[in-house]
Amino acid sequence: MTKRKLAAFLLLAVANVFAANAFAADQQWILKQSTLAYHVSHPLHQTDGVSHAARGKGVCHDGQCEFLIAVPVKTFDSGDSNRDLHMIQVTRGAEFPMVTVRTRLPESAATSATVKADLEIQFAGQTAHYKQVPFQLVTQGNETRISGTIPATLADFKIDPPSLLTMPVKNDIPVRVEMTWGSQ
Amino acid sequence: MGARGKCDGTGPPAKPAENLPDAPSSSKTEPSLSDLGFSPEETEANARQQALLDKRTHMLKIHQRMGLITTIPLVATVVTSMNAGGKNTSSTSRDLHVALGSLTGDLYGITSYYAIRAPRVPGTETRGQIRLHKTLAWIHGPGMILTPILGAMAFNEKNNGQKVHGIASAHGPVAIVTAGAFGAALLSVSVKF
Repeated sequence: MTKRKLAAFLLLAVANVFAANAFAADQQWILKQSTLAYHVSHPLHQTDGVSHAARGKGVCHDGQCEFLIAVPVKTFDSGDSNRDLHMIQVTRGAEFPMVTVRTRLPESAATSATVKADLEIQFAGQTAHYKQVPFQLVTQGNETRISGTIPATLADFKIDPPSLLTMPVKNDIPVRVEMTWGSQ
Repeated sequence: MGARGKCDGTGPPAKPAENLPDAPSSSKTEPSLSDLGFSPEETEANARQQALLDKRTHMLKIHQRMGLITTIPLVATVVTSMNAGGKNTSSTSRDLHVALGSLTGDLYGITSYYAIRAPRVPGTETRGQIRLHKTLAWIHGPGMILTPILGAMAFNEKNNGQKVHGIASAHGPVAIVTAGAFGAALLSVSVKF
C-alpha cells in the first residue's frame, strides 16, 4: 500500500513538473544572427561601428513574449582601433561592458509585417526608454528577420560628445538593427 | 521614425515605466543576462581598465591639441625658410627661422611625449587610419631630430660666410619631407579617405 501511494505521488509530481513547464514557457526565441550598427556624424567623418556579437532570448507566456538582447560594447568595430578604444572610454564601456535591450511583444506580433516596440536600453550606466520604435518583420519557416533603427542619442545616455579638431560629433547616434530570430 | 528616447537618469538600472503599455515587465519568465551565455569576463565591470582608458584618452587629447598648436610655428618656419637660405638673405631672417624652428621642435617634443607615454591597451591590434598616422611618425619623428641638426650646421656655415655644403645642404629637403609627413599625419586622423 505504501509503495502504491509512493508511486502515485511520484507520478503526480512528475506530471505537475511537466504541466508547470508547459504553462511556464509556451515558446522560446533565440537570436541566431545579428548586425547592430551605430552611426556617428562629424563634420569631417561619417562613421559606422558594427557588431555581430549580440545574443538574445525571448520567452513567451500567456500570449506575451519577453525579449532580452545583449551585446558587449567592445565588440563594435568602426574600422579604426583608436576610435573604437575612444568609444569604449567615452561610453564607460569597461565599467559598463554590456548594452542590454529589453522589450515585450505580443506573441501574435510574429506574424505581422511591422511591429512597434517599447524598448528599455541599458548602456553606459544609464537606462533609456524608447516608445513605439517601428521594426519590419519577415518570417520564413521557423525564422523571423527583424530590422529597424533605434533613434538613440548621446544625451539619452549622458555621454559627452567626443570631439575631433575641437568639433564635437552630432548628438544623434541612430542604431541600425538587423536580427534573425529562431523559434523553438 | 517618430519615436524618441527618454533617459531615466543615473543610478541602478531602472525597472520599466508603468506608463509604457509594451514595456518589459518583471515577470518570472523574463530572460536574464545569465541565460545568454556570456562569460563573467565579458559582463563584469573592470574599473582598472576604465581608468587605463581614461588616462589614455586624456593623454591623447593633449597630444591632439599640442599637435594642432605645433602646426602653427611649423608652417611659419617653412614660410620663413624662404628668406633664411640663398645668397640674398639677412641674419635677422635666419634668426627668425631658427627661433620658429626651435619653438616647433619643442612643441613637437611635447606632442610626441603624450603619444608615446599614453598607455597601451593590451590585446589591441592597430587597425584603420590610425595605422597610417603611426607609420608617418617614423618619418617625421627622425626628421624632427635631423632637421635642426642639419639646420644648425647650415646656420654655422652661412654665418661663417661659407656656402652651405655637404650634409648640411640636406637641411631643406629633410625639412620638407618632415613637414609633409607631419601634415599627412594630421590629415590621416582628421579626414576620412
